Amino acid sequence: MIPESFEYHAPKNLAEATRLVGQFGADGKLLAGGHSLVPLMKLRLAAPKHLIDITGIGELNYIREEGDRFEIGALTTHFQLESSGLLKSRCPLLPETAREIGDVQVRNKGTLGGSLAHSDPAADWPAAVVALDAEMHAVSASGERRIPAKDFFVDLLATALQPEEILAAIRVPALPARGGDAYAKHCHPASGFAVVGVAARVVLDERGNLAEIGVGITGVGPKAYRPAALEEALRGKSPGRKRLEEACAHAADGVEVNSDLYASAEYRGHLAAVYARRAVEKALERASENSQIS
Amino acid sequence: MKIEGTYMVSAPRQTVWEHLLNPDTLAKSLPGCEKLEPQPDGSYHAEMKVGIAAVKGTYHGRVEILDPVPHERFRMKVEGQGTGGFLKGEGTLTLLGDGSETLIGYSGEAQVGGVIAGVGQRLVQAAARQIVQQFFQAFSKRLA
Amino acid sequence: MRTKILGERIKRKEDPRLIRGGAHYVDDLKLDGMLYMTFVRSVYAHAKIKSINDAAARSVHGVVDVLRGRDLEGKLGNVPCAAGLEGLKIPDHPCLAPDEVRYVGEPIVAIVARDRYIAEDAADKVEIEYGPLPVVVNPEKALEKDSPLVHSKFADNVAFVAKLEGGDWKLVENDKSLKLIKQRFINQRLAPASMETRGVIASYSSGEDALTVWSSTQIPHLLKTQLAVMTGVDEARCRVITPEVGGAFGSKLNVYAEEGVASFASKKLGKPVKWIEGRRENMQATIHGRDQINDLEVYVKSDGVVAGLRCRIIADLGAYHQLLTPAIPTLTALMILGCYNIPNVWVETIGVFTNKMATDAYRGAGRPEATYIIERAMDLVANELNLDPAEVRQRNFPSPKDFPLTLATGVDYDTANYQKTLKKVLKASGYSRLRKEQERLRKKGKYLGIGLSTYVEICAMGPSSRMPAGGWEFGMVRVEPTAKVTVYTGTSPHGQGEETSFAQIVAEELGIPFDNVTVYHGDTSVVQHGIGTFGSRTTAVGGAAIFGAVQKLKKKMARFAAFKLKVKPGELIFDGGKLQTADGSKSIPFGEVVEAAYYARQLPPGVEPGLTEQMVFEPPNYTFPFGAHVAVVEVDGETGEVQLRNYYCVDDCGRILNPLLVDGQVHGGLAQGIGQALWEDHVYDENGQLITGTLMDYTLPKAHHFPWFETSNTETRTPVNPLGVKGVGEAGTIGSTPAIVNAVVDALKPFGVRHLDMPLKPEKIWRAMKQAAAQA
Repeated sequence: MIPESFEYHAPKNLAEATRLVGQFGADGKLLAGGHSLVPLMKLRLAAPKHLIDITGIGELNYIREEGDRFEIGALTTHFQLESSGLLKSRCPLLPETAREIGDVQVRNKGTLGGSLAHSDPAADWPAAVVALDAEMHAVSASGERRIPAKDFFVDLLATALQPEEILAAIRVPALPARGGDAYAKHCHPASGFAVVGVAARVVLDERGNLAEIGVGITGVGPKAYRPAALEEALRGKSPGRKRLEEACAHAADGVEVNSDLYASAEYRGHLAAVYARRAVEKALERASENSQIS
Repeated sequence: MKIEGTYMVSAPRQTVWEHLLNPDTLAKSLPGCEKLEPQPDGSYHAEMKVGIAAVKGTYHGRVEILDPVPHERFRMKVEGQGTGGFLKGEGTLTLLGDGSETLIGYSGEAQVGGVIAGVGQRLVQAAARQIVQQFFQAFSKRLA
Repeated sequence: MRTKILGERIKRKEDPRLIRGGAHYVDDLKLDGMLYMTFVRSVYAHAKIKSINDAAARSVHGVVDVLRGRDLEGKLGNVPCAAGLEGLKIPDHPCLAPDEVRYVGEPIVAIVARDRYIAEDAADKVEIEYGPLPVVVNPEKALEKDSPLVHSKFADNVAFVAKLEGGDWKLVENDKSLKLIKQRFINQRLAPASMETRGVIASYSSGEDALTVWSSTQIPHLLKTQLAVMTGVDEARCRVITPEVGGAFGSKLNVYAEEGVASFASKKLGKPVKWIEGRRENMQATIHGRDQINDLEVYVKSDGVVAGLRCRIIADLGAYHQLLTPAIPTLTALMILGCYNIPNVWVETIGVFTNKMATDAYRGAGRPEATYIIERAMDLVANELNLDPAEVRQRNFPSPKDFPLTLATGVDYDTANYQKTLKKVLKASGYSRLRKEQERLRKKGKYLGIGLSTYVEICAMGPSSRMPAGGWEFGMVRVEPTAKVTVYTGTSPHGQGEETSFAQIVAEELGIPFDNVTVYHGDTSVVQHGIGTFGSRTTAVGGAAIFGAVQKLKKKMARFAAFKLKVKPGELIFDGGKLQTADGSKSIPFGEVVEAAYYARQLPPGVEPGLTEQMVFEPPNYTFPFGAHVAVVEVDGETGEVQLRNYYCVDDCGRILNPLLVDGQVHGGLAQGIGQALWEDHVYDENGQLITGTLMDYTLPKAHHFPWFETSNTETRTPVNPLGVKGVGEAGTIGSTPAIVNAVVDALKPFGVRHLDMPLKPEKIWRAMKQAAAQA
């Protein structure tokens, strides 16, 4: 790895980090695991003058239960999310998504915040946080703000974070009663990225109809999104196989579908429909199991 | 790589045409354009910082407008060299509409060479699309 | 009873140092005053170099030298090609392109600097003005009359045309009862992608006029000769050292421009110069494998017996010849009949220049292509005649009694029992049960596919009369005065495990502990001669040389022992650390014989002191390992995704010296062969840009892609060498690719699919299923 030269900073706490980020602006770049940034630097496609390594900031690494929500520090690693017993029982979508990311090495080093702030169009986390209506907690030297997930992903590799802001934490709702969630992914065999990844959370009402549904899709367009038409076609309905199939045919409506060497836009669109159905089906199955228990 | 699409701007065709051929508007609309200087042969010398997020390349090269049919269409040829490679593109822009709105259609072929071509396969199409979008958004802002 | 070492599952001597990180690769070596080199490479597939501005690069602090093509003119020879084919066009291949580039990644400028960072910084500052020229990427288009020329000094892009004909082709054409089956196969381009990329350190000493080169290569001795020729340094003062090599798969069976430029730079600057290849360079500027188009015609009788096979091979050679580039596709022609005694054959091989990196030997080297053609053909025959693929193969196998067998291709197969491996693999896989399961699942809309491949390969390269630069191998065995044994081999193993298997041969023959034997290789000043490791030859040729040397040594030791024991030398047996008479009545410890040989106080008449013997083994023929594989896949009817459920193989590589090594070779080979079938594809776009330039885009198989491989063997020995071994380095790769494709195509039978080209990506399969649904 022979990158261009850069100055390396390793702030010890969030306050110091926000000060450095504010100071260097566009010349600075946060390192929060490095699985996206470091390859770019290696290829000399990215050459930040200042590399601000925040991986040592312990205060940003936690999984905290707050009533019916979880707050997760941005520097929590994929592996920590994957292996959290608390999340497995109360917010299983996150561990299930984490398990699908890259390989063991990537999961040990890569972080939730690092992945979200990079906003790779094929990363796994954006699907989950969009499906869960997560809230992103951004901090800068001058204050903090909460950004809803639907506003967080702006475009290809672009988020609503300002240059002086650091993504400090995300908040997600725990799995409610009669709820179920699932992540279904067609994995690129080389990169491990999602060719298509669909996260779904559903909540059934007492009669077994779909009271709530949140679906997040990654890999398909320039950024992760909620398929409005798909959700609309199912919300409040009884979820039969035929209705599911019809609804999921709208998984990529209104999206400029990505096309690359591995999958054309047409095939990717098809995969979006299939994987959306598989994710929702699985989530429904789990929701109905959870309904029987409660 | 094929790049094609349409963009609707809220201005009559004649205005759009004039601005599209105005180096000042163009320079201000082209994402990352730092210089666009008319050359004696009718082409422009351009210097641009093109890129997405942390990935930025500096390119210098030529922009040429060919076969203009006033208020209807022209061909555009771009050639640049820079960070680890080159980019080349050729396409046609067409203008449609008779009222206060104009539909700009674009269709062309772009080619990248060097490091971006070798490593950016997964994202290059989406990135190109985003840069084109950024251009038209900035351009229509200039018109407004 | 004799201690058994040969044939045992002994753990590799190499592994502890590799696993613990104690091994030394080229990049681990640092020499005093060492400089670092990097290359500026072409970003165009074809262009004139109009100008090079390196002023800014030269002014970077720490840059020592900037070299261009014209700096090498008359001072450094071209990249060599050893392949000799009739009428072969050999283009000039300078180590740095002086005025025209012909593929993306071709080196143009070399920067030598104090460290690697400085060199890379300076490389970014070199400005090259290109004049783009028309590009040709598709080899078929390159054959068209109006195609752009890769080399304007030649009239066309045809590098060579080779014909191979056997039997009576007229007879086939006139036999109207024969059914003709035609198919085109695309055997896509692959990247060898060894874990360790290439690397070289050249160190020239002006006082001695001596050049020492450390290189990650498969062929230290050949490299030494070639570097002597290229640099003009007296070969007697050239030395090549091959430290640990982290994989090669044929890609380091070569002499590369970078090795030449590093040697030149060191000679010019008087300091050691190191170059380590980056992964991106490795993807674009290390040789590629495969890349053929095969148009096949099979003439078959109604019972499934094939009467004739005709094939036109278009081989994409890339822009220049590397060491063996044109020779590789000729191996495809040679082995195109596989393990079937097809009496009539006609093959035309056309080697074509394109604006791409050169192709050359990659694991299997020409034989995977041949096996793919013939094994797909067998399935096409089965499909056409509605016969079971196993049955069609049976009907075309020669009998074990027919060997040695000369095929219509003129190749002499040594020994085989194809029926036995097939029978064994059918049993292991539960083949007939699988067919029933397939039937059941199809009714439920699930698509199970069962694929067979019964292959034969040509190995143990080879008889010198048929090799470009000698096919013999050198071996030497020395018993040290402490009774420890040193073995020297001219092969250059790099992962195959011969430090273990050669020690087994010697320990067993001398009747001493395995741990007392150490194997050396890969240093031209330590090992006198050598050819190298490739073509599944190391044990079958190199091991045979060791075996020969140890026989000579035993004879000599027996003379010393017999002299002392006052018996006939021929009566002595080496076992348990001593030499003893057959009846066990007299014996002498191994160590005492060694002392006698070295102290030399009383020499047997006519015997010289010391215990060093050597042999150069010249193989009388190739060997022909074979095997039978069964792949079981499930295809997702909705998405076209392929799940490899089971893999069974029975490989016959002759006598097995160490089953653990054989398994290791087969596992790795299977991964690469399956990789080609399902994922790997090195893609250039129509402008000649290599768009699979990283391992994020080029799919190398990973462990989690595979089920456990069910491997087993039969042992049919060869008379070609005294060990009876045939070679196994490439078997897995050669056998598995068609098994997988046959399995997927078999799964898609309900959709009327008869062929799909590799790699079998889900989208391709989905489209095939969709098309079938649309037609129904």
